[in-house]
Amino acid sequence: MKRSNYFVCFFSVFLISVFLTSAPAAASSFDISQYSGPKMKDLYYVIIRDMDARLLAMSTGKLDVLSDIYRPVDVERLLESGTADLSLASTFHGMFVTFNTRKFPWNETVLRQAASQASERKKWTRDLFSGYCEPMTGFLPVISPFYEKETTAFPPGAEAARKRLSDAGWTWNGDGWLVAPDGRELPMTNILCPPSSVAATTTEIATLMAETLVSIGVPARAAPMDFQTMLARVDVRDFDACTNAWSMSRDPDVLYSFYHSSMDVEGGYNLSGIADPELDGILHELRYAPDEAAAREYSSRAQKMLSDLMPVIPIYSRYSISAMQTGWDGIFLTDRNTADNLLTLISMTPSEGGPRPIYWNIPEEIRTLNPLVSSSAYDWMVLGTIYDTLISVDPYTFEDMPWLAESWDISPGEKGSVLTFTLKDGLKWQDGHPLTVEDAAYSIQFIKDNSVPRFYDSVKDIESIETDVKNRRLRITMANTSYWHLHNIGGGILLLPKHILENVKDWRAWQPSNTPHKALDGSMLTELIGTGPFTFRESRTGEYVHMTRNEHYMLRTAPE
Amino acid sequence: MKKAEKIKNAKRLMSVLSLALLAALAAIGSTPLGLKDGQVAPPYSKPHWLDSKVASTIELRVSSSDGDSAALSWVYSPPLRVWLTGTLGAGSAVRWDTPSGDFTLTREPGEIDLDFRDIPFKRALGISPFHDMAHALFPSRGEYALSLAGSGDAVMRIEGGRWGLLGTDHRGRDVAALFVMGLRVSLIVGIAATLIATLLGLSLGLLSGYAGGLTDALIMRAVDVLLSIPTLPILMVIAGIWGKDLWSLVVILSIFSWMGTARTVRAMTLSLRDSSWVEGLRAIGAPRGYILFRHLVPETLPLLLANVALGVPGSILAEAGLSFLGLSDPRLPSWGRMLHDAHMFGAFTSGAWWSILPAGIGISFICLIFMDIGHKLEEMADPRLAALTKRKTIEETS
Amino acid sequence: MTAALKRAGASAAVLAAVLALNFFLFRIMPGDPITGIVDPRFSPEAKAQLAAQWGLDRPMSEQFAVYVKEMLSFRFGLSMMTGAPVWDELKRRVPNTVALLLPALALSSALGIWLGVKAALNRGSALESAVLLSGAVSFSFPSFFVQLLLLMCFAYYWRLFPLSGTTSIPPPPGGMAILDYLWHLALPLFSLVVMGFGGFALYIRNMMVKALGEEYVLMARARGLPFRRVVWNHAFRSMLPPVLTILLLSLPGVVSGAVITETVFSMNGVGRFLLEATNSHDYPSAGAAFFLLALLTVGCNLLADVAYVLVDPRARRTGARD
Repeated sequence: MKRSNYFVCFFSVFLISVFLTSAPAAASSFDISQYSGPKMKDLYYVIIRDMDARLLAMSTGKLDVLSDIYRPVDVERLLESGTADLSLASTFHGMFVTFNTRKFPWNETVLRQAASQASERKKWTRDLFSGYCEPMTGFLPVISPFYEKETTAFPPGAEAARKRLSDAGWTWNGDGWLVAPDGRELPMTNILCPPSSVAATTTEIATLMAETLVSIGVPARAAPMDFQTMLARVDVRDFDACTNAWSMSRDPDVLYSFYHSSMDVEGGYNLSGIADPELDGILHELRYAPDEAAAREYSSRAQKMLSDLMPVIPIYSRYSISAMQTGWDGIFLTDRNTADNLLTLISMTPSEGGPRPIYWNIPEEIRTLNPLVSSSAYDWMVLGTIYDTLISVDPYTFEDMPWLAESWDISPGEKGSVLTFTLKDGLKWQDGHPLTVEDAAYSIQFIKDNSVPRFYDSVKDIESIETDVKNRRLRITMANTSYWHLHNIGGGILLLPKHILENVKDWRAWQPSNTPHKALDGSMLTELIGTGPFTFRESRTGEYVHMTRNEHYMLRTAPE
Repeated sequence: MKKAEKIKNAKRLMSVLSLALLAALAAIGSTPLGLKDGQVAPPYSKPHWLDSKVASTIELRVSSSDGDSAALSWVYSPPLRVWLTGTLGAGSAVRWDTPSGDFTLTREPGEIDLDFRDIPFKRALGISPFHDMAHALFPSRGEYALSLAGSGDAVMRIEGGRWGLLGTDHRGRDVAALFVMGLRVSLIVGIAATLIATLLGLSLGLLSGYAGGLTDALIMRAVDVLLSIPTLPILMVIAGIWGKDLWSLVVILSIFSWMGTARTVRAMTLSLRDSSWVEGLRAIGAPRGYILFRHLVPETLPLLLANVALGVPGSILAEAGLSFLGLSDPRLPSWGRMLHDAHMFGAFTSGAWWSILPAGIGISFICLIFMDIGHKLEEMADPRLAALTKRKTIEETS
Repeated sequence: MTAALKRAGASAAVLAAVLALNFFLFRIMPGDPITGIVDPRFSPEAKAQLAAQWGLDRPMSEQFAVYVKEMLSFRFGLSMMTGAPVWDELKRRVPNTVALLLPALALSSALGIWLGVKAALNRGSALESAVLLSGAVSFSFPSFFVQLLLLMCFAYYWRLFPLSGTTSIPPPPGGMAILDYLWHLALPLFSLVVMGFGGFALYIRNMMVKALGEEYVLMARARGLPFRRVVWNHAFRSMLPPVLTILLLSLPGVVSGAVITETVFSMNGVGRFLLEATNSHDYPSAGAAFFLLALLTVGCNLLADVAYVLVDPRARRTGARD
């Protein structure tokens, strides 16, 4: 488990997670061939950090899409202004309070259960988010197709929590502080959290959790600190408790990363340090499940066990709320999908008048535009429109959907799973060069050879890669069998052009957006070349990122 | 001229009285005044006196034992926040009758915990997640009733959106309580930092003026250098790297604000050192320490007092600036942090001026008071030095 | 000549102090001193290169020498936020800060001097009261509070000015881009002038009142010289050295104000970069931004000295400052 991966997961905004936010409903399968685009020529990612300024820009028409609205007052203002359509959807986000189970007192399961019982999730989500948030008690997002409802339900409330503790032999001393059954008093629990200037509501959650703990007799306080410092301390397990937010995916194998004892290494995802042999066994089966049936069974058993062990305390899951300027047609929106997704970006057209630029908000400064190292969710809003994966996810059914690959297959081989992808015909990079399976193979091999942290987990079990250029076929042999390999490689790895990647000397220091690159037709682009709907043109620090339509895009039918 | 003098004196008296009042307020704190910490009302509730169309907080109770209906005459705008608690027996229901239609709020047996902000609750009543439920359930003036069919008990708490003297902030905290707590922080930081800085300045100034030579040159160069470095960036860096708690802030602030005092004290020491009576003292063999502390220090005291008063605004403003940038301890409710929150959490777009103005005016007012008192003290200390210290005033506060 | 040397020496001393402070602050941080410069996420090559650049294997005294040399050549290392050279990040932001600071300083001092003299000539007038009040305001009102109010009034309710940034999107073509830039700059600049001129005006007024009572002024008036000439050529001339001193002493304050102004108005300048860097513990960037702000102060200092020498030939002999 590498650290950069882990940065991303701490951020909750992630274009792809919004994209995935649809229900596993039985709606008819989605047909991508009905979509063509992109329709608009210019796309400006407008950097506005100040929420008030964003609202003003929305109401004056200087902004078309506003994602990740987090302040309830803004929802009210946008509704009042009448110039925006709002949409709301559940997400794969989860906010947890993690306790360090490696040491007293948080190695005591009963104490963690009591803390969970005493947490007033419903009240917190109302107070902090005016209800625009879901209280969470499970270990996967409620909308995950693998979510297990039938878990142990502990009665909520501080009273019930105290009862659980006293039944287990815990007592309270004269000052009202908790004493363990063996007579030990509890040390102060510092709940590490980012400062309110960075994540105000997270700081609040830590404060509320500390108050809750004090209410059942556990000395605790919130300890806001610089985010990087906090991550560094959590990485070396120097903490009592901390807040952490994860952006999960549709697959439940994240549970392995979070709660398997082998993941409790420096920088690993198993922050709580939970190490339970039985749980380990279940998680192992889940991770290497050969088929969906096995995956379902072990995911369910894992969740039941986790709700008893309570290694971390789930708090809430965010809704994603976005606003779309009125006056656009072609918005892709379902009741489980906010409007700010890739399909909207491709197909949106003004209801009246001629073509005009799309202004899409980015709430923070762009840091690094390098697909191999970027870790900020905001950088990925830009990179997500430049780079594509082999397969994608059907926004209605959660099933796999063709993307750069038109078909695929996963079959058990002699040693491990064998994946076969067949690329669509006639694909081109944004600079006009044709995309071949050689590019795909090179990208995957490059990531594996260089152990690029962000993607390494997906590719580390690859045994060999074979290409068949003529039939556009890519064959990947894995070292072991797992149902998840298909999603991890097909949906997790971005394809980068071989002819550019070959010339990159130090991929960590690579600055593709600052390196000029000549397209086939002679025009000047940068080395930020993918297959996505928009091509990078210019980034002006603190102001905007300008992109133009990729005329070679696979869904672009005829030039207009 | 005499009349002007009188007005001036009255103003001064006002300043002193205001300061005494504010200090008393800070010393008493918010709790004895009946102001509560934490969330007390809906976010951005208006001050009580502002808008009588807005309801205060009302509670309706129904239970199977004391009748099953509670009536309400509603003449206000829709409330900001409503929630329903209680327990419900099997087969029972809680209903809400409005002039334009009736709603069944819940039929779910067991514990009731519903809030108008809950999206599942909105969806259950067929209201869009973005719609304000209060508008649907309090559509107009008229007679309303909460009723219980069956067994159980229920309480509906209606918070209209008016609270206290100064309303509430983005978290529904009482702005008046925050104001008093912020006042305390401002006074502590302002006065403590300036006192420490003055002591530093006094010692270094005396040392510099009395010892002369290399020591003098070194200290005065240090003064020059420190006066030429922009302090806020350095405070930001230090606060970012080291602690942000109240006392480290005081120490950091004082380290960067002793220079003006040192200069003044040095100038005074120089003029006194060469005066005939100090020379006389030296001639009769008085030790250096004796001369310093028995004669020079008392001589400089009145001026130092003025210096303290004139230095306080600088420290208060520096603390407010750091808090505004989010570089202070978030648990300390200071005025700068109140403005930071207002800026961050949409007080401006919500038009919640009551959560913006008190802190801003508070800072300005207290600084004005200190400046005023400082000038008076300065004049009293030594009219001749007025010219010399004028310059200092500007250095300290710019 | 000696005066010039003295001034240069003073500037060098300030820079040396800033560098020492920077070095001290960022090398004695909690934990591994190397993390202050080298981010764990950097590649091994970058790490080795940075370690070599800063001489991390050598004794502290040598490291300091290396540090001074590197900072003075604007080789600030790599930013932890972006992985790019810090100077690349900074040089995009310096123009915005300079474009805000220099006009603010020039306008507020010019306005302050003009109003200060006017107030001194019209004692007891409404203008004098206004000057006294504006002086008090600039010493006691937090600048960000005033700026927030301005923003609320003139950008949010009456939409005369933009709420944030330094350019429209897309930027208008050609010469219009400059107008567009000025339009974005107007409100922050205005707020700095509003908060800045009062101090100058108050000070000038006090000095001028005193100067007008001096014998040589009375003499000059008695000789029948025009009043205007007496005021500007005699009284004001005599005040120049202390006025200059005040101007210089207000510089650090103005630079500090830039940090807050850039934050309130979401302007992409060195000050806001410093805040971002501080918040993300990007030490090389924070150190470099601070160094640049100090350098800007020193630069303005020298500029003011030169201006003064041009204004008053006597200064060439006697030294720019007392």
